[in-house]
Amino acid sequence: MMHQDHRTAFGAVTRITLLQGEARVSSRPDVEISTILGSCVACCLFDPLASVGGMNHFLLAEPKAEGEVLDEHYGVYLMEVLINDMMKKGANRSNLRARLYGGANLHPGMRSIGLMNAEFADKFLESERIPLMHAELGGTQARRLSFMPASGKVRSKLVPEVLIQPSPAMRRTQMMAGDVELF
Amino acid sequence: MGMEQMTRILTVDDSASMRALLRNALSENGFHVEQAEDGIAALEWLEMNDVDVVITDINMPRLDGFGLIERLRAENRHRDRPILVLSTESSDEKKARARAAGATGWIVKPFDAEKLVTAVRRVAH
Repeated sequence: MMHQDHRTAFGAVTRITLLQGEARVSSRPDVEISTILGSCVACCLFDPLASVGGMNHFLLAEPKAEGEVLDEHYGVYLMEVLINDMMKKGANRSNLRARLYGGANLHPGMRSIGLMNAEFADKFLESERIPLMHAELGGTQARRLSFMPASGKVRSKLVPEVLIQPSPAMRRTQMMAGDVELF
Repeated sequence: MGMEQMTRILTVDDSASMRALLRNALSENGFHVEQAEDGIAALEWLEMNDVDVVITDINMPRLDGFGLIERLRAENRHRDRPILVLSTESSDEKKARARAAGATGWIVKPFDAEKLVTAVRRVAH
């Protein structure tokens, strides 16, 4: 089970497997960040001047009722974690370039939560003025993604759905969200 | 409720998406909301304007949240101003640093509107 290893050294490459709800950043040329996406969305950010890259992987919960909007808090949070980690590694916010992957509709006929997640990511980048250089979103097949953070190179391949280990979509209530501590 | 009775809040965050979430959550609960995109913009705005509560992010370009709190506390006018930190970070070390700089409290992102509003009401003078 290769996906049980969160970080595996394979030859000269250190491969980090990203799970849903995680974000990783690196400037090491020997690091590869990989993940498998179904309806989840991954955003790869890259600063070409600092040679720093990072990726996150998220799935926001589908609204329960008609008319209810997608709860974006968790998505905004995970994008911010990624951007902050990029800046800590020396990236400049204004140099960031983005690529988006995932958001597939694996169960035709059902309302596509994948598409809603993809739309959220697209809208987020637009409002943050981060240029979207490339997007592979939607469709009906899962994707395997490999990202070399130091060079910004991405390989994306369609894979059978059977490889996906389902994980629940994130709602704020699943986390210790909004904890307050008054000094 | 008239403007003169509304609690005025300045939110400081470099993310436009986060600013939008904060504006919605706070406006819906009857607060008057002003927004700045980093510590420098906040200081410039505060030179000419007054607020009741400041809510600031930590990681921001130009001047971060720690720097903003230190600069505000150095001014008489803002010595007792409630300043809440709203950050993705939650380490004790960062919280201790904010506390030493003079922060009033720390809230972890992603924020919960109800908890945020309760905290703001508690610290507002």
